[in-house]
Amino acid sequence: MTPVLQVTNIRKQFGGLTAVDGVSFSVNEGEILGIIGPNGSGKSTLFNCVLGQLQPTEGEVRVDGQLVTGLRPCDLNRLGVSRTFQLLQVFPQLSVRDNLILAGQEHKGSMGTRLFGARDAGLTMDANRMIEFFRLSHVADEKAGGLSYGQQKLLDAAMAFMAGPRLVLLDEPAGGVNLTMLGHLRERLQAINAEQNATFVVIEHNMEFVMALCDRIIVLAEGKVIAEGTPDAIRSNPEVIEAYLGH
Amino acid sequence: MMDFLTSRAFKGTVFVLLVAGLIILPFFLRPFGLLLVAMWMVHAVAALGLNLTLGYAGQISMAQGAFVGIGAYCTGLMTLAGVPYPVAFLCSGALCFAIGWILGYPALRVQHHYLAFVTLAFSTLVFLVMRNEEWLTNGIYGLTDIPRPILFGWNTGKAKDFYFFTLLMTSILAFCVWWIIRSPWGRAFVALRENPVRALSLGVDTRRYTLMAFAMGSSIGGFAGALYAPLVQFFEPNSFSLTLSLKLLLMVIVGGAGTFFGPFIGAATEVLLPEWLRIAQGYYLIIYAMLVMVLMMFCPTGIIGLGERLISHLRQKKISSERSAQAQVMGTDKPGQKEGAGQ
Repeated sequence: MTPVLQVTNIRKQFGGLTAVDGVSFSVNEGEILGIIGPNGSGKSTLFNCVLGQLQPTEGEVRVDGQLVTGLRPCDLNRLGVSRTFQLLQVFPQLSVRDNLILAGQEHKGSMGTRLFGARDAGLTMDANRMIEFFRLSHVADEKAGGLSYGQQKLLDAAMAFMAGPRLVLLDEPAGGVNLTMLGHLRERLQAINAEQNATFVVIEHNMEFVMALCDRIIVLAEGKVIAEGTPDAIRSNPEVIEAYLGH
Repeated sequence: MMDFLTSRAFKGTVFVLLVAGLIILPFFLRPFGLLLVAMWMVHAVAALGLNLTLGYAGQISMAQGAFVGIGAYCTGLMTLAGVPYPVAFLCSGALCFAIGWILGYPALRVQHHYLAFVTLAFSTLVFLVMRNEEWLTNGIYGLTDIPRPILFGWNTGKAKDFYFFTLLMTSILAFCVWWIIRSPWGRAFVALRENPVRALSLGVDTRRYTLMAFAMGSSIGGFAGALYAPLVQFFEPNSFSLTLSLKLLLMVIVGGAGTFFGPFIGAATEVLLPEWLRIAQGYYLIIYAMLVMVLMMFCPTGIIGLGERLISHLRQKKISSERSAQAQVMGTDKPGQKEGAGQ
């Protein structure tokens, strides 16, 4: 079976600094892969290389077998690859519903139909479903900038799922989220994974969250993969304990 | 009441009343008054275009005056050569669309004040062409005796007729702008302004939308120029110097960037207010400058933003008074508890 995401020998250099050094991994359909590692280990740079935000110095990225290295993020998104960012990235002046419609509208029709067609691009029903799924109904018409941090985090995640992506890359989804909201977020991600057979790659520092959510984990240190395995195997790996988890 | 003030029904009512007022206005105004209101409409159209580029898509442009000039010269030269006005009008918009599209390319590489300087340089370049290329533009002598159009037998030569023609064209162009900003394109423009990196990750082709924002805004500037030429019937390069671009920028900011009615209000402060403040004579500019400074200090979102803040303040006040009334009712409903608490 062709993996949904195949990353082969990715290397990224910034001048004399090698941020990512020959990283390879693959993710199968419906799998949740976690990427952990200390700060500065190259996780976000790896994400940015995979998602076209940065051009890798070497290596290739394939989605469903198709070579996508260096493709622009918008083109990659239209191929069914979605993402969230480490820092909150919602559109504060748009309502929650409009944020979600925006997240799906570019997948509907052409530029011409988007100009002359319906204002909501036929996405109000889908947006409402997503609002209900992420339990944001009470703030659906509020401007996103007026929501609490946790609600914005949920909206941020909801936007990544709006177009029904095949692959979602989540960069620290639990960062700054309180315990109640964290449990809710994990439960929603697992529900989407089960319902839509969506494939996830998650960067996270919250060990409890990542161990409970992921099927498999890879550990990065100084730009290289130092371990790969199930959450239990990673938890007891001496090299990982030494480099990241601590005793 | 507060909800009605922010509802679409209210905005629609304001728009209908505005148009109705503008329809009956010529029956009470002299030709100079008509010229002034028509001038306000032309400036509002140019500011609407800039508002699309700057207010919605967040791309700063200091070249809108140059596009008004290109539109005016295009229409002026073509109609003086005997080309029918509708053809000249459409050519003005199309030419500015194409030039605006090209001017959008630097915006793909630079932003903010760097982009402002790119557009400023373009504005200067256009002014130099208009002033120096005499074979094409008649140089400092400008263009004179530009004819007013005759459309389907309707001669717009008289002040009142041309006023109605300007009103008609302004309504059509304003409708087009309203349609764009309420369409998914409008949403994409706002996303481009607020967070281009996130927009790109959601499939928004920020490159194409940036170019479109420039091209469409410039095109509307060109249409404004095509209305300006037969309105004044004479112009020269100084009419479209950098001052006009700065004035249009001020109209958008003072009215309320990123709001549909902002450019209309901004254009009124720039075109109509000086006439109303004639009584202040030489002090007019001092008063105006001070008003702008105070507005920008306390409400950088412009006059529309000021109105929105007022409505939001009144709404908050209403909610808190309702809450305190509710608390009072709850307090009197449970006197026993209150007494108990006191003991």
